[in-house]
Amino acid sequence: MDRREAIKRTAWIMGGVVSAPAIMGVLKGCAAKPSIDWKPVFLSEDQSILVSEVAEIIIPKTDTPGAKETGVPSFIDLMLKDVYSKEDQDHFLAGLKEFDAAAEKEHGDPFIELSPEIQMAFVKKTHDAAVEAERATTPAPKRPFILMAKELTMLGFFTSEPGATKVLQYIAVPGAYKGCIPLSEAGNGKTWAT
Amino acid sequence: MNLNIDAQQQNTFDAIVVGTGISGGWAAKELTEYGLKTLVLERGRMVTHPDYPTATKDPWDFPNAGRPTQEDLKQQGVQARTGYTIQQATKHWFVNDLENPYTEVKRFDWMRGYHVGGRSITWGRQSYRLSDMDFEANAKDGIAVDWPVRYKEIAPWYDYVESFIGVSGQAEGLPQLPDGKFLPPMELNCVELDLKKAIKDKFGRLLTIGRTAHATAPLPHSPQRGTCQYRNLCSRGCPYGGYFSSVSSTLPAAEKTKRMTLRPNSIVYEVIYDEAKGKATGVKVLDAETGEHVEYFAKIIFLCASTFGSTFILLNSISNRFPNGLGNDSGVLGHNIMDHHLSVGAGGEIDGFEDQYYSGRRANGVYIPRYRNVGKDKRDYLRGFGYQGGASRQGWSTLVAEMNIGADLKDAVTKPGKWSIGLTGFGEILPYHENFVVLNKDKKDKYGLPTLTFDAILRDNELKMRKDMAADAAEMLESAGFKNIKTYDREIGVGLGIHEMGTARMGKDPKTSVLNKWNQIHACKNVFVTDGSFMTSAACHNPSLGYMAFTARAVEYAVGESKMGNI
Repeated sequence: MDRREAIKRTAWIMGGVVSAPAIMGVLKGCAAKPSIDWKPVFLSEDQSILVSEVAEIIIPKTDTPGAKETGVPSFIDLMLKDVYSKEDQDHFLAGLKEFDAAAEKEHGDPFIELSPEIQMAFVKKTHDAAVEAERATTPAPKRPFILMAKELTMLGFFTSEPGATKVLQYIAVPGAYKGCIPLSEAGNGKTWAT
Repeated sequence: MNLNIDAQQQNTFDAIVVGTGISGGWAAKELTEYGLKTLVLERGRMVTHPDYPTATKDPWDFPNAGRPTQEDLKQQGVQARTGYTIQQATKHWFVNDLENPYTEVKRFDWMRGYHVGGRSITWGRQSYRLSDMDFEANAKDGIAVDWPVRYKEIAPWYDYVESFIGVSGQAEGLPQLPDGKFLPPMELNCVELDLKKAIKDKFGRLLTIGRTAHATAPLPHSPQRGTCQYRNLCSRGCPYGGYFSSVSSTLPAAEKTKRMTLRPNSIVYEVIYDEAKGKATGVKVLDAETGEHVEYFAKIIFLCASTFGSTFILLNSISNRFPNGLGNDSGVLGHNIMDHHLSVGAGGEIDGFEDQYYSGRRANGVYIPRYRNVGKDKRDYLRGFGYQGGASRQGWSTLVAEMNIGADLKDAVTKPGKWSIGLTGFGEILPYHENFVVLNKDKKDKYGLPTLTFDAILRDNELKMRKDMAADAAEMLESAGFKNIKTYDREIGVGLGIHEMGTARMGKDPKTSVLNKWNQIHACKNVFVTDGSFMTSAACHNPSLGYMAFTARAVEYAVGESKMGNI
């Protein structure tokens, strides 16, 4: 039985309604289920929430926007629906399911119900193992969920306006081409977005 | 009042041009500037400079990061074979394959766009001159037929077209790649300069900046054109007129004369041949919008409908005199399909140059002209290849496979990555009679017109050449200190180079060629064919500049012949 269910029953036995904040206070180490503010067209709501959390861990808000603020999760959902082949869609969804099952096995709850700290640690661990595995195998195997999610997150983020203009640099109409110059003279010295 | 005579008169011009791409735009300009009332027929929709729907969009203005959807790939599956043609930014410049089918006996890639301007909107803009090495090759090798021209006859026409369109490049004094009338060259970047020095020192080979049809200086004679702004979004169409396309350059010149009538949505499917007169009198047009059939008449006809477009029209123009297609006494119409074979070369990475970068997006790369089978070099295959490519610093996409995530990733990505380089070969395909295209009357397109069936493959000479194309690239990169060098040699079909040539070749002898040295059909002197179909051999470099030069030259000849009453 999960903890929410246990508390609900306790409250009933005790003859009262336990308020949400109170539940929050009691359920330390157990985060409230996050939500999304967009309507998915391909993923289920829970899958969308999971992808959203993973994307934000990969590209978090810092002094520049992160994945959520730039609409990356919705971008990922649409890419899966319109651009990905059935084979790749299935591979992604199967991988997401595996990822979530592994999180639950390790931490006792589905990924989206875990605390931010645990989520981050789990993503990092899974991600690093996937990067190692890809390096160690030639030819590289089909990318697992975590790397597909990373790829999509980065694609969506670095083609977004904040990603391209605030984290990288982008000039719509350069006007001239300078082939061999010091880094410090190449715009603001950051990587060109395109 | 005789309506038929009036209608005929309304539909009668001094000249007809079929097609508005690289060669058609030039035919339109030259014919109208010589004073001829010219009807220009384009099978596709109207396009007017500077109306290019996606030209000024930023990356975030496209859905799906600009990638093609599964639905796009269904509709344009063949066009997508290059891996880059069907993007959200450019897919509208390529045909719907379901509506424009063809048959490939072996894999054959036919990339095209049907609209005013044709592939002069999406072309790669690389512009090189044929040399006598190329013109003499068939005769020297005992292959196919001799070209009926030599470089000195075409050189003034290269001068002429280059001066008009604007070609940026660096004069190098190489006999096998004649210099042109160049606008200022674009710059090489730091790593490319390093490679240039290394291959010169170690191999005595040249690496130069690509010769490209970009206005790196103003073109006062084409006031509607600006200069290149280094956005590198060329295949969307350029609102600045920064590179040559028919719509920004030759068609406006034709329009200015007020002697051009441009009729889009006009599919020419037959040349009308008058057996009694022994000449063509006009063309039959199917209106793509109304389905109406119309005939147009003229003394001079220029077929510039692209290699397979023009050959289709000729094959479909059957008469008692020409039972196998107009001008096909030789039987070679449709044969000797050529292209450049590619998708072979090498890439690598180099350490260092950390403090060096570039600014602006150069729509051009490096060019290594052919050195194989040149001078004393003798290989186990004929002809040769050149390389295009370039160096750049890796961007965010290489970090997908690295350990960074989170704030660390955002930080890492702001620093330009390692320098990497690629060299990709373009190889000459020999003219083989066995590489050919025929009309297929059993399979019709959406207009009820016959389609084409292609039967062409790469053969022994090409496959042998590809080994050098991969190995030489790797060797050159290694000599310059590049690491992690990987070669590639992908299995491809003819056509992937999108430089299709041949099928109505020019030659000295009407028994073995369709056209004479003036691009004139031997057996039907008032029809000229000046798109890629006239090519007698392929050379190893981008051919479009040649089509422009031969077109302008052929128009001068046609006008002269007409004035003298010879056609």
